[in-house]
Amino acid sequence: MKMLLLAFSLCAVLAAGCARQETAAPPSSPPEMTLLIGLTPEHNIFKQIRRYEPLADYLSEKTGVRVTLKVLTYRGNVIDNFQSLKLDGAFFGSFGYVLAHAKQGVVALARPEYPDGSSSYHGVLFVRKDGGIRTVRQMKGKRLALVARATTAGYLFPMIFLKRAGVVNPETFFREVYYAGAHEGTIDDVLDRKADVGVSKNTVYDRFAAENPRIGRELLILGESDEAPENALALRKEIEDSVKGKLVDALIAMHADPEGVKVLKAFGARRFIATTDTDYAPVMTYARELGIDLANFRFPAEE
Amino acid sequence: MKKKILIGLGILSLLFMLIGAYVIVTVDRATSRLDHLVKLHQVEILREHLLLQIKRVQSDLAWSGTRYASGVDTIVSHGLQMGKGIDRCFLCHHSPQVTEGLVDLKRQTESYEDFLSHVLTLEANRVRREAEKDEAIRRGQDLIAKVNGIIALTSRNLESNTRAVFRQIAITKTMLFLLIAVGPVILMTLGVLFTRALTRPVNTLLTATRRLKGGALDHRVEGLKDEFGELATSFNEMAGSLKEQMQKMQRTEQMVVVGELAAGLGHEVKNPLAGIKAAVNLLSEELTLNREDQDLFSRIVEQVGRLEALMKGFLNFAKPPKPQWERVSVNEVLETTIDFYLVSHRPSSQAFGGIDIQKSMGDGLPRTMADPMQLQQVFLNLFLNAGDAMSNGGTLAVKTLYDAPADSIRIEIRDTGPGIDPEIMGRMFSPFLTTKPKGTGLGLAICRQMIERHGGSVGAENDPAGGALFRIVLPVKRGEEEVKATW
Repeated sequence: MKMLLLAFSLCAVLAAGCARQETAAPPSSPPEMTLLIGLTPEHNIFKQIRRYEPLADYLSEKTGVRVTLKVLTYRGNVIDNFQSLKLDGAFFGSFGYVLAHAKQGVVALARPEYPDGSSSYHGVLFVRKDGGIRTVRQMKGKRLALVARATTAGYLFPMIFLKRAGVVNPETFFREVYYAGAHEGTIDDVLDRKADVGVSKNTVYDRFAAENPRIGRELLILGESDEAPENALALRKEIEDSVKGKLVDALIAMHADPEGVKVLKAFGARRFIATTDTDYAPVMTYARELGIDLANFRFPAEE
Repeated sequence: MKKKILIGLGILSLLFMLIGAYVIVTVDRATSRLDHLVKLHQVEILREHLLLQIKRVQSDLAWSGTRYASGVDTIVSHGLQMGKGIDRCFLCHHSPQVTEGLVDLKRQTESYEDFLSHVLTLEANRVRREAEKDEAIRRGQDLIAKVNGIIALTSRNLESNTRAVFRQIAITKTMLFLLIAVGPVILMTLGVLFTRALTRPVNTLLTATRRLKGGALDHRVEGLKDEFGELATSFNEMAGSLKEQMQKMQRTEQMVVVGELAAGLGHEVKNPLAGIKAAVNLLSEELTLNREDQDLFSRIVEQVGRLEALMKGFLNFAKPPKPQWERVSVNEVLETTIDFYLVSHRPSSQAFGGIDIQKSMGDGLPRTMADPMQLQQVFLNLFLNAGDAMSNGGTLAVKTLYDAPADSIRIEIRDTGPGIDPEIMGRMFSPFLTTKPKGTGLGLAICRQMIERHGGSVGAENDPAGGALFRIVLPVKRGEEEVKATW
């Protein structure tokens, strides 16, 4: 009987021990930090997000900071609404960064370097070969497809190009001026005769030309801008330096990591290189030439 | 039989294997078909899902620019899901034709995405925006129509596939039921056949054994094959041997009886006969008898002589003399006997046309241990019988040969007489059987007795060409040891 009681007691103690073990709370881990990064559309926005998703996943894995993406459409004052969109940063085009830096104080960290060694782009202004346009004068009364106001190739460069040719007010010089919202869009529109004059980044134009032989056959480049830095990752100034450092380190070291090399290859780049504000000097020059007050640059309301 | 059993077991095993393999294959095939069908239905669901995703994006597009429009993030999310939906299709389809169609569908979807993206990012006047939106919606409708077409086509295919699969499964089910029903019947039939194949010979042998036990020594087992055939042969040999032994035993018993009778007769008949014969001789010498009485006395003496000869033969048969063994040439013994026969007995037949003697003595006959006097007696007896059978003349053929494999000497004595009456053929060598008016019926019985005492055998049969044929087989014995061992 004593033995039975002893065994019962032992079982009860063990069961209590087990129960305590089961109900014990798991070790607490610090809340995961999330960065919401905006993507300004160079391509079709779906392609754009598919292109950047592997990069975001890689950065999340390497830095421990969860990187999520949000597509920006340029429509409206994205730069001014940077705070309300709860963005922590974005892959900005060069003029977009200059504006965001001036208005929101974002800091550029790194930008891609392409397999050909370039890490910059320039704007191209093109027309259809059969459209009869070879000079700015011949553009009068035609339709102009720009990309977006916050772009260098898609806005600053054509404005400079036209200004240097004597066109003071493009809105009246052209029959229609509109913003396609993506570099691909302007190329498609001119190709499909929806616009007569278009502008784009040469990187997008060249990639498109490689995919679609019609571009080489049917389009003609009439002007090119100076080089501007490729889309770079910029973060809000309030983001901790340690986080910025982690991201920069991960990006800069990607090409030395086999997994990073795969992501870079899918992204279409050779590596990421550090970017500073001085890289944006040509853009600043354009802005100054156009008399743009960066801090007070206004985006017209939608029609 | 062993081979048959192995073949039978092999057939049964093969049958089991075939049935098992069929069951496994059909179940596996049915499972594969069902699995394929489930996959097809899953693909159908995927297509329906894709259609819903496209319609959702279309809805987003239609409401864009209005106060009920979804946010860009939502539309982008829906667009991305639509893209993933089409990508999932590539995981299932592999045939080049279908893949080509899917590539076309993906291209169309990407084009739709381009227009959608354009609408979402475009900043232009209302006319352009509406035109772009209309174009995008048109593309979306085309895409929906295409997916609907695919769904309609695949639905029809799926329906026919489903019907075909269920039909196949029904056939498989019927086949399995048939196998379950017929399989055991086949196996039982085979089992019964094999059992019968085993038990029938056993029953035959059992019946034969019982008949043998009941005294039917002439019963033989026929029609069995393989190991049972060998067993039947052994059984038949055993039955023959048993019959022979029984006959020997009977003869031995007869001999015992005859011996006892002969011994009695020796004392009780022979001595009085000698007295009668002496008395008659004395009377015939002392009495003056007329010619008729002299003839009567002579006939008494003659009959007494016959009785003495009968008694002598009877005693010889009952208590045969022990053979005097020596190495003899059978051919020489035969030659001597023929000479003696020609000198002493042949004239009696010559009056009726004569008897021609044909000899065919075999070369290389080995000498054998035998009693030459007894052999002469046997041969002479057979010659005399042949001579009696050919009262009108004929041919007496004598042939010898050496049977090397059996190591025995064969002697054949053939006449051209009327042959042996089939009624007495089986009893030819029994004592007291005679067809002659003055025969004792002991000659052939003594012949067989002598030959058997030499370890040989003697038989008689009718020659198909006519006449009787006697065959004597003598085993060759090369020394005293062999004689002692067998005698």
